[in-house]
Amino acid sequence: MGIFYFVAFLSIFFALMTIFTKNPVHSVLYLVITFFTFTIHYILLNAQFLAVVNFIVYMGAIMVLFLFVLMLLNLNKDTEPMKSTLVKVIGAIAGMCLLATFLGAFRVLEGQGELVTGNTDVGLVKNLGKVLFDEFLLPFELSSILLLTAMVGAILLAKKETKEG
Amino acid sequence: MGAIITLSLLGILVLYLGLYKAKSLLLPVTMLGLLLALGFEIAAWNTGEAPIYNGMVLFDNFALAFSIVCIFITGLVLLLSKEYFSSISKNVAEYYCLILFSLSGALMVCSYHNFAMLFVGIEVMSVALYILVGIRKSDFSSNEAALKYFLMGAFSTGFLLFGITLLYGATGTFDITGVKNYLLSNPTTISPLFYGGILLLLVGLLFKIGAAPFHFWTPDVYDGAPILITTYMSTVVKVASFAGFIKLFSYVFAPLQDFWTPVLLVIIVVTLFIGNITAMKQTSFKRMLAYSSISHAGYMLFAIISLGANANSSILVYGLAYSLASVAAFAGLILVKRSHGSDQFIAFDGLGKTNPLLALVITVAMLSLAGIPLTAGFIGKFMLFSGAMADYHVILLVMAVINAAIGIFYYLRVVVHMYFYPSTVGQDTLVVPVSFNVVLIITLLLTVLVGVYPNCIISLL
Repeated sequence: MGIFYFVAFLSIFFALMTIFTKNPVHSVLYLVITFFTFTIHYILLNAQFLAVVNFIVYMGAIMVLFLFVLMLLNLNKDTEPMKSTLVKVIGAIAGMCLLATFLGAFRVLEGQGELVTGNTDVGLVKNLGKVLFDEFLLPFELSSILLLTAMVGAILLAKKETKEG
Repeated sequence: MGAIITLSLLGILVLYLGLYKAKSLLLPVTMLGLLLALGFEIAAWNTGEAPIYNGMVLFDNFALAFSIVCIFITGLVLLLSKEYFSSISKNVAEYYCLILFSLSGALMVCSYHNFAMLFVGIEVMSVALYILVGIRKSDFSSNEAALKYFLMGAFSTGFLLFGITLLYGATGTFDITGVKNYLLSNPTTISPLFYGGILLLLVGLLFKIGAAPFHFWTPDVYDGAPILITTYMSTVVKVASFAGFIKLFSYVFAPLQDFWTPVLLVIIVVTLFIGNITAMKQTSFKRMLAYSSISHAGYMLFAIISLGANANSSILVYGLAYSLASVAAFAGLILVKRSHGSDQFIAFDGLGKTNPLLALVITVAMLSLAGIPLTAGFIGKFMLFSGAMADYHVILLVMAVINAAIGIFYYLRVVVHMYFYPSTVGQDTLVVPVSFNVVLIITLLLTVLVGVYPNCIISLL
């Protein structure tokens, strides 16, 4: 339990650093660390597959992409659009309302004191594969349309328009 | 299931046709495929009693009816596309392919029986749209619309997913019957997570249908997207989202009606007023239709507030009526814009003299949108309002009637422009292609048919 609280503290700390730091590159680096703490959470939960995927895809691929975009866009303070104070205040109030609702819900839940332990081995690759290719086969297959759509779209939008010859 | 498989394969086939430069085949093949899918849906009528594929999808008459409407409206939209797509981009095959993929997503949303399917369906439907909206690469407003839609859509998907997660945390299942049984077996000890889950799901779904206060993307996206894509978005996508929405709330969350009714009531009133009052101030026909689609989302939410025996069929009728009228209105807009180069109201001046048929169809479409008797829109509004009346939501009804009156004002404005203003330059060159005439006449006939003899649709569900 001690490890959990320590890692949870780190997650929240680095998540806050992500949004409070001024420099966008630092912000992305903090986000990488946040994702790394999530990976530790997954390992603690015995969800090995998720941990590996999170490590490779999110921390590795997506975050590098983020950094590249930031470098290419060359964002700095001058280009950041000014947000009015009103918008900031409204955003803060809305976010806090959401947070308060969920904290309340989790608080009540804790009071009920029943601890449900499901199948702790479900996060292993073998078991996950069995669920994915048996019970959830249809959504798994249909998500191929999703990937195909995204591929067609990416190529369509990124391809250079050839001049009519 | 046959229809979903057909449409997915059809999309790939169309891509190959594009690869081999068989451009003239694209439309006929697509229409044939749609007909085949329609045939599969009709053949499955009255056969789907139990969910199939481990409880993933359920093809009951409810799902089939909404699927048929989606396929039919897509067919009408594609009939309009013949010259339209090639005039704005050279990648015509990708257009058809993405629309077909998006349609297969819409069918999944109509027939899901598991939250995993709902999520995959909504994503397939939306991802294709993000691309379609931004397909005019050199057009600034199209780019802006695509980026805006993508960012907001991804954000709302996050809410949807978080809601599903919380529901799973409370019930331990993704199956909607399982969630329903959880509610029925623990009426007093429902986990607090469940309420949070409902609210987040509500946010995600309200975003997809474009109801206030989650409507900010709607006017810009509808305005910036190519007109045909706007037509597709405001008809098929909206009907499918509503099918998913009402299935979830009438089948699963109905026991908790006291919890979410006040939330929806506020949302409906805000949606109606924002949609109608801003629509009144528009000078562009396209933007007016975008705002009016917000207000129509508000009217359709009535069915969810008053879940009665007629809720499903009233949403079906209203969705069909609204889709037919929108297709007719947008088809008119395409023609007028092509000859006149503008989508303002003044572009419609004198259309009643120069092109009586087009003016007649647009007039009937506007009357249907406004809810004037003898059109399909009236039947839809009547069913929704009487459903709300049966639940004694009197104040809501008063608000709705005020809004319907506002609606008549701005819908009739374009009619006034068509018949009572002298025509300006450019109207004489307006030619109506055969495919447009076919679509216009089909929408006109169906609008009047449903308006005069609504039982042909109501008795289906």
